[in-house]
Amino acid sequence: MSDAPSHDLESRLITTGVERLALLGKHAEALMAGYARDEVPLEGLSTTALNRLLAARILWRPDEQGGVKLAPKVRELIAEMLADESRRHVNADVAETLELMRSLVQSYREARDGGEYWRQEQQLLRLRQEVDDLNGRFADAIDSLWRRLNGDFGFVSRLGDKIRENERAQKQIVRLLDGLALIDFDELIELVGSDGALRKLLVSGLQQQLTQHYTSLREVQRRMVELMARFRQQQSRSRLVAGMAGFLREHPGFVPGNYARRGEVPALVNRATPLVAAGAAALDHHPDSRALTELLHRLPRPAQRPEPVTAAGAAAPQEDALVAARHQALKEEVERFYLSVVDRGGEGVSALEYRQEGALEWGEEIWLFQVIAEFQGLPRNEQRAFRLSQQESQASPYNHLRLIHDVVVQLA
Amino acid sequence: MSQDMNPQAESDEAMISAHASPERSLVALGPLVERLLAGEFLCAVSDESAFRHLQDERTREQIDAYLRPLNRRLATNHEGSVYFLAWRTLDEGAREQLSRQLADTVNSLLPLLEWLQLVQEALGRDGPAAPGDVLKPADFSSRCEDHQGLRERLERLAGDPFFGSQSDQLDAQLKQVFKRLREHGYLLQPHPDRQYYLVTAKIDYLIDLVRFIRDEENLPVDDQAPSGQESLL
Repeated sequence: MSDAPSHDLESRLITTGVERLALLGKHAEALMAGYARDEVPLEGLSTTALNRLLAARILWRPDEQGGVKLAPKVRELIAEMLADESRRHVNADVAETLELMRSLVQSYREARDGGEYWRQEQQLLRLRQEVDDLNGRFADAIDSLWRRLNGDFGFVSRLGDKIRENERAQKQIVRLLDGLALIDFDELIELVGSDGALRKLLVSGLQQQLTQHYTSLREVQRRMVELMARFRQQQSRSRLVAGMAGFLREHPGFVPGNYARRGEVPALVNRATPLVAAGAAALDHHPDSRALTELLHRLPRPAQRPEPVTAAGAAAPQEDALVAARHQALKEEVERFYLSVVDRGGEGVSALEYRQEGALEWGEEIWLFQVIAEFQGLPRNEQRAFRLSQQESQASPYNHLRLIHDVVVQLA
Repeated sequence: MSQDMNPQAESDEAMISAHASPERSLVALGPLVERLLAGEFLCAVSDESAFRHLQDERTREQIDAYLRPLNRRLATNHEGSVYFLAWRTLDEGAREQLSRQLADTVNSLLPLLEWLQLVQEALGRDGPAAPGDVLKPADFSSRCEDHQGLRERLERLAGDPFFGSQSDQLDAQLKQVFKRLREHGYLLQPHPDRQYYLVTAKIDYLIDLVRFIRDEENLPVDDQAPSGQESLL
């Protein structure tokens, strides 16, 4: 019975709505000009068009003499569509929505009890829309907050403005959290009673969504506070740097106290002198010798240089050179001795006999000394190739001094 | 950055340090200790993993114990954003060295502060260069080419004895300024042949020092926003 007029109402609403939404597109340029400026320019609008826009409450005239402006809701809609953070409003009017939901639940119940199926459906639809709106408002507000945060409030250029915008955002967060706190799920549980559809919509669904909003808001709040600390630090640093630079420019002779001479040296000026942990190639660790040899082989060959022509030097350096040359000759002779040991295979060779056979001019002692020194100077793995036995005797029964008479070297 | 760390690697590392003897884990810290000994300031920008190690109190204690015979200890700034070595006990020689170092720092203060101001203005930043900021000499040269005032300030700054540029070419001056800042540890150049630099947390240390001098000498330099700003809201 009551169905027909309701249907009529609905279709009339839809027709008007479509007409009025079309107005937004038709006059988009004039409306955007009004968004960007203070007033909507009237030049391009006919009287009929203007009247239609006013009737649709897209525009309004604050006073008879003044110009025409965008209605606040339209301004908000545009800001929302553009994610224009400088003008986006954060508004989650929870108290009013809750009020509305309570009355919708009441009429839903009445319709259900009266068996008015269609009206019941309509009320449920309205309720669902209200819940969606509430959710949407929180989601929009949170989106706007995150955008402002992630953009470092880049829509304002000065740090002072950023700090003020951040303060404003933090107040919005507090209002949103207050709004969330108004929603009392115990009350909602009682309100929906045993109705499954209502319970799903107003209790389980809403609770899950609001928990998410709550978590997001807490997170964005934490980050806002951090960002604010950074802004404040930047501001204070920037003032400190500018102030100190200005002071030093004005007082070129300024010298602060010598804090290093105080009884208690301030922690900040106590900086120890750098220490260089130097290292050099060492051959006393056998496993390294291989690596060092490799490094040596990889050294770039020095470029061939012409022999430097040296002027005649004083006598003393020449003598040094002579000693070095003799030492080199001795070294080479001892090397030949070792080579002959290798040539003779496993047979031991007496150093002194070799000296005698070769009629070498070196003194016995020097010869033996060099043979032993050469052996000790060999790399460990080459040393292992030889066996060096010393023929020695105790110098006296009273001490442990031993005299070496000869050494015999043979391949190990 | 640190969140991207492979969790497996982290747990491996934790396991090794849990089982290893103290000497063994100090061996792993060798390069870190060496850089500190060489006078470097270590921060999250200059060496993220070293910095992570240094945030662990036990590691710090270990390093301190190791440094004791060298008469050095680990020190940090107010925010704990940068670590360096301080003298453990101050003898006459150390005080002498600190006095000279302080005099050097005071002499370099104005050019460094002017550089910070120049960066802020040239790049239109909200504040002075902060740890982790990326700076490119190319950005400066394009700004300075468009702006005679900036160009002149940079020229004056580059010629300051602290930066010591002899050139009258903009690019050479910039190169010298960046080079000196890198040598002093305020900037880090991640790739030797790529012209971009990261600001290190040594800048925090510099700012702390400026604030300290201001407080000690009661200089008329204010770093708080005028209180009128808040009441406007």
